Amino acid sequence: MISYLGNSFIYISLVLTILFYTNLLKKVIPSTTSSLKLIYFINLIPFVLLVYAFSISDFTLLNVVENSYVDDPIFYKVTSAWGSHEGSILLWVFLINLFGVFFLYKNQTLEIHKNILFISTLFILYVVVSSNPFTYVEANENVLGLGLNPILQHFLFVIHPPTLFLGYIGLIIPFVVSAHMLVNKNFSEKLFKEMLIWSKISWFFLTGGIVLGSYWAYSELGWGGWWFWDPVENISLIPWLLNTALIHSLQVSIKSNQLKLWSLNLGLYCFIASVFGTFLVRSNLIVSVHSFATDPLRGLFLIIIIAYLLAMTVRLNIKSISNFNEDSFNLLSRESFLLLNNIFFICSALVVFIGTVYPLFSEMILKTSVSVGAPYYNFAFNLLLAPLILFMAFAPQINWGKHEKKDKQIPFIIIFSLLICLVSYYFSKNFYFALSVFITVPLFLKSILVLKNNFKKNISFYSQWLAHLSIGFFIIAAVYTEQFDYEENLLFEKESTNEIKLQNNKTAIIKNIKDEKFQNYQRISVDLLIYDGQKEKELSPSKNIYQPSGQVTSEVSTTNKLFSQYYATISTIESNKVGINLVYKPFINLLWLSTIMLVFSIFLSVVKKR
Amino acid sequence: MKMSKSIYRVIIPFLIIHISLVSFAEVNELSDYYKTIRCLVCEGQSIQESDTEFSINLREQIQKKYSSGISIEEINQELIKIYGEEISFNPPKNHILLWGTPLIVLIIIFIFIRNKIKFFKRV
Amino acid sequence: MKRHLLLPVVGLIVLVVSVLFYFNQSTNKNNSRDDVSNLIFETPDFYNNKLINENTLGEFYIVNFFASWCKPCLAEHPLLMEMKKKGVKIIGINFRDDEENFKEWINEHGNPFEYVLRDDGTIAYEMGLIGVPETFFIVNKITQKKIQGPLFYEDVEKYL
Repeated sequence: MISYLGNSFIYISLVLTILFYTNLLKKVIPSTTSSLKLIYFINLIPFVLLVYAFSISDFTLLNVVENSYVDDPIFYKVTSAWGSHEGSILLWVFLINLFGVFFLYKNQTLEIHKNILFISTLFILYVVVSSNPFTYVEANENVLGLGLNPILQHFLFVIHPPTLFLGYIGLIIPFVVSAHMLVNKNFSEKLFKEMLIWSKISWFFLTGGIVLGSYWAYSELGWGGWWFWDPVENISLIPWLLNTALIHSLQVSIKSNQLKLWSLNLGLYCFIASVFGTFLVRSNLIVSVHSFATDPLRGLFLIIIIAYLLAMTVRLNIKSISNFNEDSFNLLSRESFLLLNNIFFICSALVVFIGTVYPLFSEMILKTSVSVGAPYYNFAFNLLLAPLILFMAFAPQINWGKHEKKDKQIPFIIIFSLLICLVSYYFSKNFYFALSVFITVPLFLKSILVLKNNFKKNISFYSQWLAHLSIGFFIIAAVYTEQFDYEENLLFEKESTNEIKLQNNKTAIIKNIKDEKFQNYQRISVDLLIYDGQKEKELSPSKNIYQPSGQVTSEVSTTNKLFSQYYATISTIESNKVGINLVYKPFINLLWLSTIMLVFSIFLSVVKKR
Repeated sequence: MKMSKSIYRVIIPFLIIHISLVSFAEVNELSDYYKTIRCLVCEGQSIQESDTEFSINLREQIQKKYSSGISIEEINQELIKIYGEEISFNPPKNHILLWGTPLIVLIIIFIFIRNKIKFFKRV
Repeated sequence: MKRHLLLPVVGLIVLVVSVLFYFNQSTNKNNSRDDVSNLIFETPDFYNNKLINENTLGEFYIVNFFASWCKPCLAEHPLLMEMKKKGVKIIGINFRDDEENFKEWINEHGNPFEYVLRDDGTIAYEMGLIGVPETFFIVNKITQKKIQGPLFYEDVEKYL
């Protein structure tokens, strides 16, 4: 039944779209706005149906059989709807149309909506051709479903993919708006402002999605890492970097009427980058934890979509490139620093892109397989982002147009931060930490000085400082965690060793081992105490054995100590001995806090417009 | 023009110090070294982060070699010889396109800044 | 501004491409080690505590890594038994295993190996083992073929 309904809605939408493009729909519905609304709403339905099918475990759908289990909690049943490749592409379609509907309330320009609809239709065709989740199978009473991959059974996984997708697809609005503006050479301020709001909304979701994904990896994968330069993380970082650049350059376009073509062209590439990301993940071209498509047709179809979008983009680039030199401004002005920021961000995106596709390139052209990982990205990001962060401290204080006044504080701030940097190097003997101190201290100092003097500025001023400050906190926390974490492998033996002395004079004591049964899994957990003389911290890492696959996952247990965290997983568990992996992550909570601040700051700046 | 010269005086030493500082930071601890070795059976994790038999064995073997006085650099060479370049998350520096990109990008940024002073001001 | 950027950029690209091609030759070599680790001939056999006699092995032999905790090893076990019957010399290397479990495993399923060495991981490391089961086909001390994962009938058809 649902299979039938789902397929029919997909085809109805295709037919309506064709009618709409050939203007035949006008004969039935005279208003274009209402016909657009109709098509958008019809395109929303298939995904809703799929979610419904998952929630009632309708095993007449092949997709439900493959990705859901009858005894899964309802929460995870719904999650399974986007746990599979087919479902996630359908979610993609759903979100494109959702953005279309919302954008329709703000702006009824027909051409822009035609473009949105066109892209949505490309993806609907993709669903029809190679990944239809509504494939029917004969219902069978013995079928209980194969189950969702246990490592995806986590409440963060329920919100992480949709949030990230909202971020990716939110970029469709800047894309279509800039395409419209470039084609019609209509550079109205109103459209630029709309573009800014939508790219901020997308940035909000994108940042949120990346952080959630990172937090999921931290709390689920069980080795205490929160960012591991996995190809999938990289390709979510590329649109993020480009979008950050876009938000900054749009300020210039709106405030001082410059860098217009620059922003528009950048707006095109943000969306291309997010589609390209999806392509890389879904085509399985790059081996990664996240990829689950293996059908070559899927990759091929996506590459056609990308090639088409890219061809359109390049055509628009070539058209506008001759006018690039129209901008002019002074070296010491807000504009030039925002341009500098743009170049840094675009270059970082380029570096991430090169690092991600280089293994592919190397395997095809050089015939050697290499792995590009943290050492490379650390090198590149230290090189590129360190100067950027330094600029971030001073640039927001520079005036638009021309900056006349000399800032007498700068030399003092630099000298002061160098001093602190040297002191921190002397105590920590760690180059990376000292560098991060050097680049962030000016930001903190400057923030204090500026906020003291400008107490009653508007919200946008605060949201900007909050965003920049949280980046500063993030960098300090990230570097500190990575440089000063330590790990211990504790091996407890029954009867003989219940207590182990830790490196920092604390004691780890094992209490009891529990064995519990839950709805779709069995949990074996170990109670561990960390005792430092007065206070004790309790941890209970566990191993879960999932039905029906019998797959075993290690569940992490953490306990906080102000900003730091103990992080424990079971490495081995046998009848007579228990191995526990204990990681101490200093300042990890500051890192998460700073990301929350970052997301909140952009939320502020979006909300204040309303 | 005067402006641009003084900019050079600041930027070029900064660039040289910056690049050399960043490139000469080395791994000198075993646990940091483990993070640069890829676990070949577990898609994208390093041997520090995974608990497969492969990673455990590699950690043990490297630990053994290290405590018998072999340097991390030599161990790395041997590992690459046995398992191929794929084993290391830190590709050899002769992948010029890869390692060169950030440097070239940085240099382009500074050329861009220099040009911006001259050309953007003209109008 | 565009004009002035063009030259250095093109120059750099040409430089990069030429250097790349220069290094291409050095990166293109096959990195995997072809010869068999000498450790195999330095480790005594588990059952009779003697070193492997290279002369009785002949030109062609197989090195098979296995462990009692490894389920896919059981899948290829019958094929190994079959090959033993046909006179193929197989050196079994027991990878990181408990001695009791290993003995029990051999007693239960049979011993297809000419020699059995017990390895704490050192031989595996030297030979570049990725995971058990893994099989090396060796001719004149050079690895001709390496199969990661369990053997299938097609892999060993010509030795049966």
